[in-house]
Amino acid sequence: MSHEAPHHVEDHVASHHDAPHYVAARVQRALAEDERTYELGIRVDIRGDQLFLRGQVEGAERRAQVAAVAAENAPWLTVRNEVTVVEVREPGEEETL
Amino acid sequence: MRIRVAAVGDVHLGEDIRGRYRRRLEGIEERADVLLVAGDLTRHGTPDEGRIVAEEFRDLPVPVVTVLGNHDYQSDAEDEIVDVLREAGIQVLQDDSTVITCGDVRLGVVGGKGFCGGFAGKCASEFGEPEMKAFVRHTREIADLWHKALKGLDTDHRVVLSHYSPVKDTLTGEPPEIYPFLGSYLLAEAVDAEGADLFVHGHAHAGVEKGVTPGGVRVRNVALPVLQRAYAVYCLGDESDNC
Repeated sequence: MSHEAPHHVEDHVASHHDAPHYVAARVQRALAEDERTYELGIRVDIRGDQLFLRGQVEGAERRAQVAAVAAENAPWLTVRNEVTVVEVREPGEEETL
Repeated sequence: MRIRVAAVGDVHLGEDIRGRYRRRLEGIEERADVLLVAGDLTRHGTPDEGRIVAEEFRDLPVPVVTVLGNHDYQSDAEDEIVDVLREAGIQVLQDDSTVITCGDVRLGVVGGKGFCGGFAGKCASEFGEPEMKAFVRHTREIADLWHKALKGLDTDHRVVLSHYSPVKDTLTGEPPEIYPFLGSYLLAEAVDAEGADLFVHGHAHAGVEKGVTPGGVRVRNVALPVLQRAYAVYCLGDESDNC
């Protein structure tokens, strides 16, 4: 149960008639609640017929999933995936407190 | 009497990135005496992901102390995850404390996941609907437990390990509207009452590393997207001693 998308999300089908404000909110919620993403920190902006995604994820597959979930929830928009993958570098200088 | 504390949070481990983090921990014993992990160990909070976390952090040459984050609760399997981690020799703090001994130095670590509520002047109160009262009460009860745990520690140094933030400083870069979901001033108030050398947290991926509580305790946001390195190392103790 916990891995299924909540029913209240599935029940509401967004359309291109909805105000961009609500479409962006719906996509952001889907990114947080869809088991394929569970990404809470992705910023969603709609400008004209484009949907911009910004933020960071831990792997390339997760970056692709974010775009896929967004596209499913607003298929009439062109998704611009500006999400980046966190690069884990070597530990740096220590800090003395 | 110095001790080197390595810290990271929000590693969000899952099958797709299994093993990726472990190789960055090689040689940690040359850089640090203990590793603190500030929650969001997993992505979905499943026992399977808990086992990946255990594999990634087990049998390191330094002690590992963790707390859970909100993602680790998502599948209602947090107790199982805690069991898996403990069986792997990883310490998990749940609003309690542990003492790490390194040579002659004793480091007390207090912590747990923490919770939300917001910051002084712009925060939720225990007032009104039962849901709102329960929301704020949860944070207050956590803060009370941390206060007591700190009071009970008699060690050379004290560090607080949390997932949620105690201050706004380290949230800079996050939308201000979601600050109340990123932390609570009650966590800082409890720590300031007893004092500590350092407060480590994660959760705020878009925030910044450095902050300070109103009482002067240094705060460090060690979320992996903020650090962009495997872990940060903080040296506690007199400047005159080498770390």
